[in-house]
Amino acid sequence: MSTIKDNDQYNAFREVWDTTNENSNGRLQGMTVAVKDNIVTKSGTTTCGSKMLDGYKSPFNATVIERLQDAGATLVGKTNCDEFAMGSSTEHCAWGPVLNPWDVTRVPGGSSGGSAAAVAARLCQVALGSDTGGSIRQPAALCGIVGYKPTYGLVSRYGLVAFASSLDQIGTFSITVEDSATIIETIAGFDELDSTCREDSAPDLTKHLHHAIDGLRIGIPSQYMGNKNNADVNASVAAAIETYKELGATIVEIELPLTDVGISTYYVLAPAECSSNLARYDGIRYGHRTDKPCKDLFELYSESRTEGFGSEVKRRIMLGTYVLSSGYYDAYYNNALKTRRLICREYEAAFKQCDVILGPTTPAPAFKLGEKADPLSMYMCDVYTANTNIAGICGISIPCGFSEVDCKSLPIGLHLQGSWYEDAKLLRVAQMFQDATDFHTKTPECVT
Amino acid sequence: MNTSLTTDQVRHVAKLSRLALTDAEIEQAKEDLSTIFDHISRLNDVETEGVDPLDHPTELQNRNRDDSVGDALSQQQVLANAPAIKDVFFDVPKVLGGDA
Repeated sequence: MSTIKDNDQYNAFREVWDTTNENSNGRLQGMTVAVKDNIVTKSGTTTCGSKMLDGYKSPFNATVIERLQDAGATLVGKTNCDEFAMGSSTEHCAWGPVLNPWDVTRVPGGSSGGSAAAVAARLCQVALGSDTGGSIRQPAALCGIVGYKPTYGLVSRYGLVAFASSLDQIGTFSITVEDSATIIETIAGFDELDSTCREDSAPDLTKHLHHAIDGLRIGIPSQYMGNKNNADVNASVAAAIETYKELGATIVEIELPLTDVGISTYYVLAPAECSSNLARYDGIRYGHRTDKPCKDLFELYSESRTEGFGSEVKRRIMLGTYVLSSGYYDAYYNNALKTRRLICREYEAAFKQCDVILGPTTPAPAFKLGEKADPLSMYMCDVYTANTNIAGICGISIPCGFSEVDCKSLPIGLHLQGSWYEDAKLLRVAQMFQDATDFHTKTPECVT
Repeated sequence: MNTSLTTDQVRHVAKLSRLALTDAEIEQAKEDLSTIFDHISRLNDVETEGVDPLDHPTELQNRNRDDSVGDALSQQQVLANAPAIKDVFFDVPKVLGGDA
């Protein structure tokens, strides 16, 4: 595995392992898989990109890790991410920012930026990530690869370090749709260790993957194609729509008016759950503890947390604590929960008119390191992806074009969303596009 | 709704969050949080009268498993990541006497 270390000029990996899998009969034999550093592994450490968990060694494997190993996959190491998966650029990582292989002056997206960069630079075949508001699909778009967030409940979250439990979902990065389908098919299915996991057996995602869908109806929300998007993004998505038309799809104009309040809803719900989940980091049982002499437990908690957490995590903990606090709970948190139901209803109505919803994954291609210094502009990166998690439906980003900037090709992502547990259909629609185009075969200049 | 936070409100929320911020960090947080809440206030424009809150996409109810003994971590494994232990216990400063 020395080649991974030698070729990782992007800080994609936190740890590279020199491991082989003895289980050579599995269907994933020979497949190299990197793991986002917020999924616990008995091998190495799990730090979540945070000083809080520097050196943390999990006594158990996440369910997805057990299933990958049983299937013969070779786990190659842990990838850097925004601290506790909070961010859209992987700049908020205690171990330094991850760089985009297409242009190292730009971010890979986030929070699963290390996983995205690792696959884009062909350092491994597949990588696991987690997606709470776009943390797989947005970096996949910015790095020119496939990023797939399954329907909530399809894949066990046991061993995924919790950020916002009702939104978090493990998913994949890959070059081909088929690799993502194969991995998720392998790791999906009921797990008694995750009470939010669907009780059915794993769905068949690969059997009909290469069968084009007859009578495919693609919904295009007017809210997704406005002038807020970069012109190249709109042009690439428009070209993708033409491709689907040529493949026989019917285009249906739909309305998702609550797209505009998605980020507002998300930035109440996600921080609220984050503030509760991250209360566990107290400097007592595991994680960073201050060296300062403390007069009591309260001070030990506060000093340990202040030293251990980075600025974005602190901001979200305070945001969440505020919206859950007495006097603001109804105005913010409860109101966001009501809006969440309306967002679900809006999707339900949309999926009566179409099979999948199509649009851009992000309003613009990769931005420069340090460009989005104010938190709100960073949050707006997830404007098209956050509602997928709020509703719990499935979504995938696939490469659909490039924007040429400063002699660099910056990838553009096409976002497809599917209804609850219609993952097999979503993947088939994505596969149709990959069969008809070659965007996914393009590699950054660094790849030879 | 006024979305600007006061310094005292930010201090209070930092305390509830168990974060010890400097005066400069409090002022920065006040500015950042006020900007974010200004955006979040768009939620007030959504007509939610009579809508039930939805706290989870699956709407699963309590799911119970069999009450049977399974594998558990050993005491040694549980204590392995602790920053300070004494014998087989987590070591903490005195609990009584502070304002916590």
